[in-house]
Amino acid sequence: MKKEDTVKLISAEGFEFVIDKNAAMVSQTIRNMLTSPGDFAETEHQEVTFPEISTTILEKICQYFYWSLQYASGKETEFHIEPELTLELMMAANYLHT
Amino acid sequence: MADHSLVIEAGGELESPLVRRCIEAATQSADAVEMWRRQRRTLERLPSQLAEALLHRLLSRRLLYPSLLEVFKYNVEKVDLRGESSVDAEWMAYLGAFHFLYSLNVSECHRINSSALWSLSGMNHLKEMDLSRCSKVNDAGIKHLLSIRTIETLCISETSVTTNGVTLLSSLKKISKLELGGLFITDTALVSLRVLTNLQHLDIWGSDVTNEGASILVKFPNLNFLNLAWTKVTVLPNLPSITCLNMSNCTIHSIFKGGFNDNDNKATLKKLILSGTSFKDVTKAFSYFDPICLSFLDLSNSSLRDLSFLLSMKALENLDLSGNLIGDDSVEFIASVGANLETLNLSNTRVTSAGVGILAGHVPKLETISLSSTPIDDLAISYIAMIPSLKAIDVKATYVTGVDSSLEVLGNLKNLEKLNLEETPLKDEGVGPISNFKKLSHLSLRSSFLTDVSLQYLTSVTKLKTLSIRDAILTSAGIDCFNPPPFLKSLDLTGCWLLTKDVIFSFVERHPGIKIRHELVCDFEEAKHTSPLQTSVRRRFSSSPLKYEMSAIIDERLKYSRAELLSMQFASMAIVPPSDSGMSMSPE
Repeated sequence: MKKEDTVKLISAEGFEFVIDKNAAMVSQTIRNMLTSPGDFAETEHQEVTFPEISTTILEKICQYFYWSLQYASGKETEFHIEPELTLELMMAANYLHT
Repeated sequence: MADHSLVIEAGGELESPLVRRCIEAATQSADAVEMWRRQRRTLERLPSQLAEALLHRLLSRRLLYPSLLEVFKYNVEKVDLRGESSVDAEWMAYLGAFHFLYSLNVSECHRINSSALWSLSGMNHLKEMDLSRCSKVNDAGIKHLLSIRTIETLCISETSVTTNGVTLLSSLKKISKLELGGLFITDTALVSLRVLTNLQHLDIWGSDVTNEGASILVKFPNLNFLNLAWTKVTVLPNLPSITCLNMSNCTIHSIFKGGFNDNDNKATLKKLILSGTSFKDVTKAFSYFDPICLSFLDLSNSSLRDLSFLLSMKALENLDLSGNLIGDDSVEFIASVGANLETLNLSNTRVTSAGVGILAGHVPKLETISLSSTPIDDLAISYIAMIPSLKAIDVKATYVTGVDSSLEVLGNLKNLEKLNLEETPLKDEGVGPISNFKKLSHLSLRSSFLTDVSLQYLTSVTKLKTLSIRDAILTSAGIDCFNPPPFLKSLDLTGCWLLTKDVIFSFVERHPGIKIRHELVCDFEEAKHTSPLQTSVRRRFSSSPLKYEMSAIIDERLKYSRAELLSMQFASMAIVPPSDSGMSMSPE
C-alpha cells in the first residue's frame, strides 16, 4: 500500500489508525478535510486528529468504512453494533457524516 | 406510530446511514436499552436531533416508559406523543422536567387530564403545545398552562374547555396560533381574546360564535388564517390580512362586509374553502375581496348553478366544484380561468362529454381531473386525452365502456400515473390499451365484466405499483399464472368471489412483496404491527371483528342467473388466455 493512498486517523487517546483513503472518504467530513483547497495541516500530511472520538469508537468507525465499501460493492453482510457503543458511535457518525 | 419516527428521519436531519444503524441497534430490545441508559454523561452530550430521533424510535418500538424519559431531559426540544394511549400524568411529570422543551404534542392522548398538565406549569421554553382531542382536559387544565408565558401555539380543539377557559387565555400575550375547534364557546370568549394582537392563525370551527363575535376579528391586524366552519357567522367584517379562509357549512351573506372606500385594503385571499355552504347571493358574497391571488377554491356541495363569479379568478390552481348542480354551460367559465389550473374536481355534477370538450384546450397545466359520477361516456376520454399535463384521471362511476379501444388515446398522455375506472361498464377488450401506458403506477378497476384476460393485459404495465381489480370474475387459474409487474406493491382483489383461500395464500407466498386485499385474507400484516393498546381501542368503537367480516361478504351468486352460474363453473378453463393455457391449464 503506497503512502499517498492511505490516511492516518488519530483518536482522542492518541492511537493512530492508518486506513485506505478510499475507505476514509466514506465520511463526508473527512473527505472535505482532506480535499479542501488551502494549506491545512490535514490536507498536507493526510492525517486527521479527533480529540472527541475515543479509540474504541474510532476503531468501530474504521470497521464501518470498510464494511460500507464492501456493502456498496454488493456483499450483503450485517454490520453489528454493540448496544453499549450505540450512543458514542451515533455522535461520531453524526459528526463525520457517514 | 412507526410513521412518526419515519417522518423525523425523513426530515433530512438523519441522512447518515450509520446514525440510523446506531438508532436501530440502540432500540433493538429492552436489554439493549439497559446497556446504554446509564451512560449519563454521553446522553447529556447527545445533540438534540439525535436524542429526538432516538426517543421517537423508542416510542414506536414500544420501549419508552416514563422513567426512561429522564435520560432525555437535557437535550430533547421536541416531543411528539400524539395518539399514544399510554401517556398519562406520570409521563407529563417527566416531560415537565425537560429543560429545553420547545414543542409538545400530546393530541389524542386520552389519558391526559387537567391535573396531568399541572407538571408543565412554569416551563421556560415551551412554545408549541398541542392538546387537541384530549377530552379530559377542561378549564382547570388551562389554568395550569397560564404560567407558561412563552406559549405561541396552542391547540385545544375538541377538549372540554369552555368559554370560561378560553377567556383565561387572554393573558398568554405571545399566542400567534390558536386552535379552538369543536369547543362550545360563545362570542364572549372571542371578545375576551381581542388583546391577543399577535394572533395570525385562529380556528374556531363548530363554535357558537355569531356575526357579533366575528366583528371583533378586526382587532387582529396580523390574522391570516381563519376557520369558521360550522358556525353561525354569515357576514365577516373587512379583514385585509386574511389569506386563508374556511367557512364551510355556514350560510354566507357576504365574505367581508364591503361598504368601504376604494382606498381601503381589500383582503387578497389565496385559499378559500366553502364546502357545503349555502349562499344568499353568490356573486355578492364574492364581491368584497380581491380574487387576483386566489389559487385554491373549494365550493363542493354548495348547490351552485351559476359560476359567472369565477371570471375574475385568474390565478386559480385548485378548483373543487363537486356535488353542485352545474352543467356544460358552466364549463365555459371554468375554461376561461383554466390557464393555471392544476387540480379540477367536477365529480357528482351534470357535466357531460360535451362539457369536457369545452374544457380541453383551455387547461394546459391541469394535472388532476375528477369526473366521477358524471354522465360522461367514451367521447369524454378522447377530449381528456387532449389535456397534455394530466397525471391523474378519475372517471369512476361513469358510462365509459372502453369499447373500440377508446382508452387507447390516453396513451398519448406521457405523464399519466393514476387512473380510476371503477364502477364503469368496462369489459376485457377495453382494458387492452392500458397495457401500453408507460408511466401508469396506480390503476383502479371495478367491474363484474372483467376476467382473467384483463389481468393478463396488466402484466405488461411495467410501472404499476398499486392495482385494484374488484368484483371481477378472476379465477384461481388466472391468479396462478398472473405474473405481476416488477414494482407492484399492493393488489386489491376485494369482491373477486371465485378465488379460494389456497390460491391467494400461494400467491402471497410466491410474491411476499405484494400486499393482497381480499375478503378471505384478514390483514394479518396490519394486525402484527398494531399494538395491543390500539386494537383494544378499535374494538371498543366497532363491534366484534368477526361480525364485521361476516357482514362484508355478500353472496356474489345473487348477481347471476342459474344458467350463467352453470356456465361459469367451467369458466376458469375457458377464460385463461391461450398463451398460457398450454403450460398451466392442461385439464386432468
